[in-house]
Amino acid sequence: MTQLLEIRDNIKVFFSKYDIFIIPFFKFLLALIALLMINSRLGYMQRLDNKGIVLIVSLACSFLPTGAILLFGSLFSMAHIFALSPEVALVVVVVFMLIYLLYLRFTPSESLCIVVTPMLFVLHVPYVVPVVMGLVGGPASALSVVCGVIVYFTLHVVTQNAANVSGDLSDILGQIRLIIDSLLGNKQMMVLAAAFAIVTIAVYIIRRLPIDHCWTIAMIAGAVLNLLIVLIGGLVTKAGFSFIAILLGSILAVIVGKVIEFFRFCVDYTRTERVQFEDDEYYYYVKAVPKMNIAAPDRKVKNINRSHRNHNAIRARQPEEEYEEEYEEEYYPEEDV
Amino acid sequence: MLNKDRVMLMTRMASYEAGEGKKHMDVVRFFKGDYIAVGIIKAIICATLSFGLILGLYIYYNFDVFMANMYDMDILAFVKDILIRYAWFTGVYVLITYIVCTIRYNISRRKLKRYFKNLKVLKRMYD
Repeated sequence: MTQLLEIRDNIKVFFSKYDIFIIPFFKFLLALIALLMINSRLGYMQRLDNKGIVLIVSLACSFLPTGAILLFGSLFSMAHIFALSPEVALVVVVVFMLIYLLYLRFTPSESLCIVVTPMLFVLHVPYVVPVVMGLVGGPASALSVVCGVIVYFTLHVVTQNAANVSGDLSDILGQIRLIIDSLLGNKQMMVLAAAFAIVTIAVYIIRRLPIDHCWTIAMIAGAVLNLLIVLIGGLVTKAGFSFIAILLGSILAVIVGKVIEFFRFCVDYTRTERVQFEDDEYYYYVKAVPKMNIAAPDRKVKNINRSHRNHNAIRARQPEEEYEEEYEEEYYPEEDV
Repeated sequence: MLNKDRVMLMTRMASYEAGEGKKHMDVVRFFKGDYIAVGIIKAIICATLSFGLILGLYIYYNFDVFMANMYDMDILAFVKDILIRYAWFTGVYVLITYIVCTIRYNISRRKLKRYFKNLKVLKRMYD
């Protein structure tokens, strides 16, 4: 455990020291993966399906605010769908605009969740999202998770019906109806949106309870709740979920949750202190749980020789013989030779 | 001589100033009523745009039905129905915006109060 704590502290120090490079790098990586995923899943516009363009846009995202990833991701998706069918693109634009106008303008910082949720759906691990957002976010994160689910299923419905909407240009209304009906009648989307919203709020409430091991309880309860809601919802609506996928996803959610807990809420419940005191107006019942920390090793570096620069500076200042003398004294003291 | 407490306090305050302090200053430079009023105006605009988008998509979806019943339908009742739905939609959204803006303003003011209190403490440390 001590070694792990030491590694954690080293990682924290490293991140705080080089955050000016690390944050843009991660933004770049996230944008790159997101755009490559969009190109591989949609990819109807040949011009955009180009690694050079993806690289340039990802580089731009690395120094722009996080919301830029969502903006470029949306633009890429809409451009691809426009190439497939302008009418279907209209539906997608309306969905994206509604998400922005009704929700995202309040909390632009939550845009990251809307980008990451569809990515995790593509990687078949979406059950991690509500547990993680409940641990690191607030109750409003439930809405972000729901928006992420809607974005994923909107794009998913388009790719599923791509063959039907691309061919027949005479039936424009039919294409729009097909997409809207597939989206509104998507039982998987409804069940997952409801489950994720409930789980996010439940995890958030439990982790804030004044009980021991609240984070661990919250993530396990969240994973179990997720499993139950999705299974029961799937059975009731006949949406067809894979039990193994939900189970593995829930286990992974707990593992990821434990990693986050290790970095954000690592406390030692065995050393909990309960104190009680009063002032003129109140009685105070205080429970203090110490953080798990290790003392930074006190390393003392003793120079046993002069640096090269000092060495040259002295050499420049002093005549050759004096320098030789001093050099001898400094580097080969009698007792060492 | 470095004063450890002073450096810690200044670091904390500088971090607040550079981070969420900026947002809080932007909020608190308005009176509470003005801030909420601006929020509500923006909410009405956004709700109107959103309702327009949904209505447009709804009409587009049922375009052939509308065209077929154009001369038979009661336009006045249809418009009235839409206006009632619009009022409900906007009303609920404005209410949510009102609650969000009020909470935000209160939180910002509380945190800025703490910041100014720390400023006073810092000034006393220098005196």
